[in-house]
Order: sequence, then structure tokens, then C-alpha cells
Amino acid sequence: MIQVENLGHRYGDKTSLKDISFNIAAGEKTVLLGSNGCGKSTLLKILDGLVTPSEGTCRYDGEPVTPGRIKQGPLRARFRREVALLFQNPDVMLFNPTVHDEIAFGPRQFGLSDIDARVRHWANLVGVESFLERPPFTLSGGEKQKVALAALLASEPKLLLLDEPAAALDPRTTGWLVDFLAELPITTLTTTHNLSLAPELGRRALVLDEAHRLVYDGAIEPFLADIDALIAANLVHSHRHRHGGVEHRHFHSHDWQ
Amino acid sequence: MHIPDGFIAPQMYLPLYGLAAGLWAYGARRVGRDLDEASLPWLASLTAASFALSFVALPLPGGTSAHVTGVGLLAVLFGPWHAFMAASMVFVIQALLFGDGGVTTLPLNALAMGFVGAISAYGVYRVTPERWRVIGVFLAGWIGLFLPALLIALALGAQPLIAHDAAGVPLYFPFGFAITLPALLIPHALLGIGEGALSVLGWRLVERLRVRYRND
Amino acid sequence: MTERYVARPSGTRLIQGRPSDHADTTAPTYLPYAATASTEPGAAVHPKVRGEQIKLLAYALATVVISALTEPLWLATALFGVILLAGRDAPTLLRRAILATLAFSAVVSLAYIVQTVWISGTIPWKWLWSVNLRVLVMALLTFVFIRRTNLFAALAFSRRLSFMLVLAVSQSLGLRRTLDDFRLAMHSRGLRRAGLRDRYRAAAHAAGWLLDRALANAHESAQALQSRGLFR
Repeated sequence: MIQVENLGHRYGDKTSLKDISFNIAAGEKTVLLGSNGCGKSTLLKILDGLVTPSEGTCRYDGEPVTPGRIKQGPLRARFRREVALLFQNPDVMLFNPTVHDEIAFGPRQFGLSDIDARVRHWANLVGVESFLERPPFTLSGGEKQKVALAALLASEPKLLLLDEPAAALDPRTTGWLVDFLAELPITTLTTTHNLSLAPELGRRALVLDEAHRLVYDGAIEPFLADIDALIAANLVHSHRHRHGGVEHRHFHSHDWQ
Repeated sequence: MHIPDGFIAPQMYLPLYGLAAGLWAYGARRVGRDLDEASLPWLASLTAASFALSFVALPLPGGTSAHVTGVGLLAVLFGPWHAFMAASMVFVIQALLFGDGGVTTLPLNALAMGFVGAISAYGVYRVTPERWRVIGVFLAGWIGLFLPALLIALALGAQPLIAHDAAGVPLYFPFGFAITLPALLIPHALLGIGEGALSVLGWRLVERLRVRYRND
Repeated sequence: MTERYVARPSGTRLIQGRPSDHADTTAPTYLPYAATASTEPGAAVHPKVRGEQIKLLAYALATVVISALTEPLWLATALFGVILLAGRDAPTLLRRAILATLAFSAVVSLAYIVQTVWISGTIPWKWLWSVNLRVLVMALLTFVFIRRTNLFAALAFSRRLSFMLVLAVSQSLGLRRTLDDFRLAMHSRGLRRAGLRDRYRAAAHAAGWLLDRALANAHESAQALQSRGLFR
């Protein structure tokens, strides 16, 4: 479904991605792990055709993905519908007067039928059916995230890219999101630096290190068990803490051991 | 301080709405032409910033403060049309969402503070020579506050002339130019100094920051 | 299965993990929406939107009419009508309307009383009633309108205008919340009695932060709209 080859990206003189290659097959649930500023968001934006890579290529169903190609190339008619990106801050993506219009936006934009029934269907699934008439920005952070998710899914994408979807959620909503995504029968690529969530969000891990390179590609559990790899990717921390009466420091994560 | 509805006569605010509508239509095209498809979210964010700027307290001596308008700063940074459109949207949001300021005073505010404020600030900034940029920004902040105050003083002072009963008793805002001009111009000439100073500081910060967003 | 994992050029340190058994075929407990029996295309305009637009129009007309009234009796009648319209919300909204207009109205009214008493020795009762009632009715009407209408839906006759307003307002609220935090943080750090210079620095920092945030939001939001297919 997605083929990424020797992808690189620079913002001015700052490198944000370097020599990244991987493929994603339809149906896979993949987690993109990396510390802050390692280029995760940029990679998602390149995959979504919003940012042009400086080097290498990214293909969707064999067709190169760049902002220009999506407007004119063979992907024009379907890319925006089939690939959806959930931004980290839902405020930037909610722009309709009511939650109803927000969810209806995609289906209307892409000319689908049964708009109202679709809206009700997705609103029920994410549990925002009681706010349909309210403006999205009057909702709480978790509700906004749910509305944004419903709005994207209403266009029935084939690939869903999620940028730190749980970063601003409380534990209960996070639990809900993990279950919801697990049951979603489409391809997903989710970024996170939360190791406790990572194995729940996908079976395969792609890991970026602080040099903006891909350092691991494979099943997630072995990676999470490899403390050296975790240290190298800056995904665990070390600080003073207690085990019974003993106080010492060692590398660990609070969420996954 | 916002002028509530009920002080401006329809004989004045209806024609002003007509004038403002024309400028909004032209401004929408200007903003759209300059900025391609990103203009919509861009203007939205600028509006949000300009709305929030009105909550930044302008420090005055003695621990008191007044409110910033920021029109001069926005005009210098993003051009007069963007500043005008963003300021107008702020007045719409304030009036129709939060009930601050009126809907009949909206065109007056938009034309005075938004349009004249932004155009005069930008003009002053552009005519100052390159090496005196800081002075240009300061003057832009000052005039962006002062000139709108002058226009609003004129509009208020004209109320008794355009709307009075047979006996000459005013029906809306009751004071003439002799009172509105000094009452608004003297404090705003002084407030403008603070606004100008803040514009310079804000301008320096943003010039340093925004290099980051030009990249892709 | 492994061929999907592209071999890396030699010299890089990619750890090639064991491929995941990635066919994540958990039984879906939900199904994507499938077209139901009714296949008529969805309404282009949500029915709610039309109603909101009528309310906006009615509000605009009422505002013009009330702003043209100068007889206190008519204005009192209008006030009564708007209070009826407000229904149960009347006390709250009336209080808000009074608070929103009090400062300006009181200053102008008192100054005018002083002026007329000084000049002619009379109190301008008719002016006081007419202007203060008009200001109150118009403010109350606005608050009733705000309470009863979704402005964004009402302005949806221009899709772009309504999109832009929603984006602007949602970002405004976020920015304002952080600004409040700036102010509180300054108090918390004991800078309350800071000198004028420090207060200017703090205000400029807040202004700079706002504009920086706005630039970042604009950038993100443009990408989000593009991603959702707005500019196809």
C-alpha cells in the first residue's frame, strides 16, 4: 500500500528525516515510535501528501505522493478520500459550524450518499451523538478528538495516519481509543512515544532515533524488550527512584518493562 | 471601552455598513489573491491572534493598564489588508459571540480601527527609511491607535448634528465635537506611546520567530 | 512476508526485527457504514442551518427597527417584547446586558445630566429614558440572539466565512486560555509589583508568543484542511 524509499527531509538547514525506507501492506497496524522532534509528524505529513520530501520517494499504490501529484496525477480523484491524517491538535482540523456538519464534511466533499445516516452512524460509534448540534470547539479535548476521528472515518479511508492520538487524552478516553483503533478494520500508522500504548496500537514498530534515521523495523515486543535499543532511541529515561528500601537510578520506562 | 448599540443613529451606521461591506469584499479578494489556498486558515489564525491581543494588558505607570489593539503591529507584520480583515472578524466575534461592543458600532470600529488604523500604520511604516525601522514600527503603533480615535471622536461628535428632534435636543450620543475630540484624543495620544513601544517589542520577537514558518 | 521489509544499504544500523504477524484480523465489532435502503442523497444544507439563518435575519431587522426608535414608550414596549422572547433566561441575560453597557451608558448619562443642568437647569428626562432604554433593549436582544443561535450555522451561507470563523474562534479560545496562564504565572512568580519595564517585556512576550502560535496554527490548519480534501 505504501512504499517509502530513501526518504529524506530538511527544513532549511535542519534535517528532520534521513534515508528512511519501509513498506506498509494493506491491513497492517503499525506504530511509529520516536522521541520528541525526531521527525514523526513530518513523516506522517509526507505520507499524507502535505509536505514534499527533499530526497527519496513515497508511493501510495505505486503512485508517487507529493502535494503537486495529488492535485494533478492519477491519485487526484481518490487520495484525499482514501488517506486520512488525524492531527495532534484537533483544533486545527475542526472548522465546521456544528459537529453534524463536521462529520458530514468528508462525505459531502467526496459525493457520498446518505449523509445524515452516515453522520449518525459514526457519531454513535465514537459516542458524540448527543453533541451533533454544538459547535466543535465548545467540546472538551477528548470529545474533539472523537469528533475529528469520526469526521475522518466518515469518508471511509483505507489508510488512517494518527499523530500522537492519545497525547492529550485522559486515561479513560485513551482506553476507549485503543479499543476503537484495534477494532478498526483498516490500515493504520500511529505515532507515539508512549511505550505502554505502543504494543496496543499495532504489532509492528518503526522506530526513528534522534538522528532522524529509521533504526528498527519489525515486531514490536522484541524491540520493547531491548533496553539498549530503547536507550539509543531515547525512549526510556533514568532517574532516582526506590525499590523497597533501596534507592538508585537505572534506565526504565514507567509503562513497559 | 466599547461603544454599545443605541448611541449611533441608523442614519450613520447603515451607510457605514455599506462602505464597510464594499471594503470587506475587496479585502477578501486581496487576501485571497496574495495567499492562494492557505489564505483561509491563515486569516483565521491572524484573527485569533488579534482577538487574543486585545486581552494583553498595555502596562501604564502606577500599576494600571489599558488594552492593546495590535492593529499597527499586525499591519506592519502582515500587511494592511490582512490586518483590516482580521480586525473586522474580531469585531464580529466580539459582538455576535461574546456580546462585547455592538453590532451597530461594528462598521464604525471596523472602518476606523481596522481599515484606517491598519492603512495609516502600514503607510507610516513604509515611508520611514530602512535604517529607522524601529521608529517606523513605533510610529505605526502610535498612529494605528490615534487616527482611529480621531475618527471615532468625529463620528460620535456628529451624532447630535445628524439626529436631533425639532427642538434641537439630541436623540443618540449627546455631545458634540467640542467634547468628543479632547475626550478621546488626549488619552489616546498618550496610550499610543505605550502601544508603539509594545509594537516595537512584539515586532522584534516575531521577526526572529517567523523565519521558521517560511520553510515549506 | 519478509520481502516487504526493504533491505537497507550497507553501513546503516537498521535493526531488522522479526516481522510481526501483521495480519491484524481481529473480528471487527463495528462495520463501516453501508448504504441503507434509502439512497436519496443527503441534504446539501443541514435543516438546522436554514432556521439559524432566519434567526439572523430577524435579529438584524429587529436591531435596525429598535435603533430607529426614539419614543421611550415604544422602547419600553420593545423591552417588554424582548424580555418575553428571552423567557426563562430573561433575568440572567438582562443582568449581562446591563453589565455590558453600564460603564459607557453611565458615564455619558451622568456627563449629559451635568451639562444640561449647568446650561438650562433641567434634567433631560426624555433623553435619559430613550437612550438608556434603547441601549438596554439592543444589548438584551443581542444576548438573546447569542443564546438562541449557532452563529456559525447562521453564517453558513458562505461556507468559507463560516469555516474561517469556526477556526478563528476555536483558536482564540485556546490562545486566551494560555494568556490567562501567562498572567497568572506572572503573579505566581511574584512579578505583580514589577517595574514598568518588566511589565512591558512580559506584555511583549505574550504578544510575540501569540503571533508565533498563530503562525504555527495557520500552518497546521492549512495542512489539515488540505488533508481533509477542502482544496481539491
